[in-house]
Amino acid sequence: MGELLAVLLARDFANHEVAIIGTNSDIQLAACRLAQHRQAPRLTWYSGPGGMVNPRLDRLVSTADAENIESAEAWMDLPVMIDFIDWRIHFFDFTILSALQVDRHGNLNTVVVGEHAKPRVRGPGTVGIAALTGLSRRYYIVLTRHDRSALVPKVDFVSGPGFLEGGTSRENYGLPPGGPKLVVTPLGVFDFEPVSKAMRVKSLHPGVTLEQVRDATGFDLVVDGTPAITEMPSAEELRLLRTHVDSTATLRTKYA
Amino acid sequence: MTSVHKLVSLDEALGEVRNGSSVALGGWIFNSQPMALVRQLIRNGATDLDLIPAPGSIAPDLLIGAGRARSTVCVFLSFEQYGLAPHFRRAAETGALKVHEMDGPGIAGGLRAALCDLPYMPIPDLATDLPKVNPEHYRPLPTPPGERRLLAVPPIRPDLCLIHAQQADEHGNVQFLGAPFFDVMLAQASRRVVVSVDRIVSSEKIRRCNHFTKLPANMVHAVVEVPHGAHPTSSAGLYRADDAHLKEYVKASAAPERFSAYLARYVESPVNNGAYLDTLGAARLAGLVLSQTRT
Repeated sequence: MGELLAVLLARDFANHEVAIIGTNSDIQLAACRLAQHRQAPRLTWYSGPGGMVNPRLDRLVSTADAENIESAEAWMDLPVMIDFIDWRIHFFDFTILSALQVDRHGNLNTVVVGEHAKPRVRGPGTVGIAALTGLSRRYYIVLTRHDRSALVPKVDFVSGPGFLEGGTSRENYGLPPGGPKLVVTPLGVFDFEPVSKAMRVKSLHPGVTLEQVRDATGFDLVVDGTPAITEMPSAEELRLLRTHVDSTATLRTKYA
Repeated sequence: MTSVHKLVSLDEALGEVRNGSSVALGGWIFNSQPMALVRQLIRNGATDLDLIPAPGSIAPDLLIGAGRARSTVCVFLSFEQYGLAPHFRRAAETGALKVHEMDGPGIAGGLRAALCDLPYMPIPDLATDLPKVNPEHYRPLPTPPGERRLLAVPPIRPDLCLIHAQQADEHGNVQFLGAPFFDVMLAQASRRVVVSVDRIVSSEKIRRCNHFTKLPANMVHAVVEVPHGAHPTSSAGLYRADDAHLKEYVKASAAPERFSAYLARYVESPVNNGAYLDTLGAARLAGLVLSQTRT
């Protein structure tokens, strides 16, 4: 499943784009690295909190790992880098994020489930994603589980603004153009209906039914006609992934 | 400091930390966390601390687990592949720890306001719930219609800043052999800066490779020589993170009696850094050292 998610994301990146990804991001990292080995050799990816540029290993290690840092083309001094990350508009073409909760308009929650003062589940923090979802041209959401606790009608805490309340609410608030483009999950690929900015079924993975997806989603998904079937990873995509990106099979073992 | 000689012992460096101090912690996740300084801070007894960690792991979590922190700023606390920071998570979920939720612009803007002596820094209003849960750090900043929406973050000025770097001279010129992450900004914003280094080198060596100096001596109040002072996190170019120890820590954190045993063995009993390294053993430490000839 980890391999599938990485491949589905990688297909959407263009050459010369600039990406930023966070720590503990195996699938996100694999997607960027795979795109570099296929259609986007000059894709640039920054490791968010570390300020490293284009680390280049043939296996997936934590982006916070010292080895990953050593393999970068550059590492920016963070007080310099954060001006681009936290203030500048559209420095990054895209980011790829996961979350505790995602809602129908692609808003993300990485902070708490339940009340902030006494949470049921404490997450890692804002992880700085507000500036990434708020200021980059677009973003992707990757979920390793698709259920009603992850896909909720409204997130308990907005730490990554998406399309807010939907419609024109994001631009009305004064956020720059952007927002979520695709959501990839173990069940399918989802995009956002252009007017309502509500999550819509784009394709279902082979063998997955619409009913199954509806049961596993905490809100009504937009469905336009009969959803397509996801094009599964090709032999070539898997070969590149397994030899040049994930040679120690992290995606197959950790995200089986 | 009246002396130009800033090289002191761990105890001297942290002897006068008052209860209720705000303490910045440098490094980044499993890299260059100021662990020897944190262990000494716990031994010295300072409590009710307000933590201001750079994206961190075991440094803030150990202080929280030892019961020394009453609050923490949180942008991101993580044990990466080992999950969430165990004591941070538990203390936040029970409400025992006050969490000042912040994002990147909030912490960076707050530190920058402090180091520039500004009443606030403008940051983009990104439509998050942060101003609701943390009005102290996120204030409305009215802007004319059509201009970018902004918030004001007031200065974050830590009383004490703890940093680990690779080398320094006795005057306190501090060199980083890898990325300094947020350390320089934290130091610039703080009232007192204490740095541990793996080794002391001569001032001539500092001058010969002065491009490594990120903290000149006047920004540093005390330097402590503690070989392997970032253990179990890494120190750039010198040694890698000790994955086995990090796992041991996470495992010990699952039950109070096991964590008491961890604290006794690794924090309370070893009276100095030498004694701490003895609990790990020479073979363990040698296995972490990075080869200088590796390609």
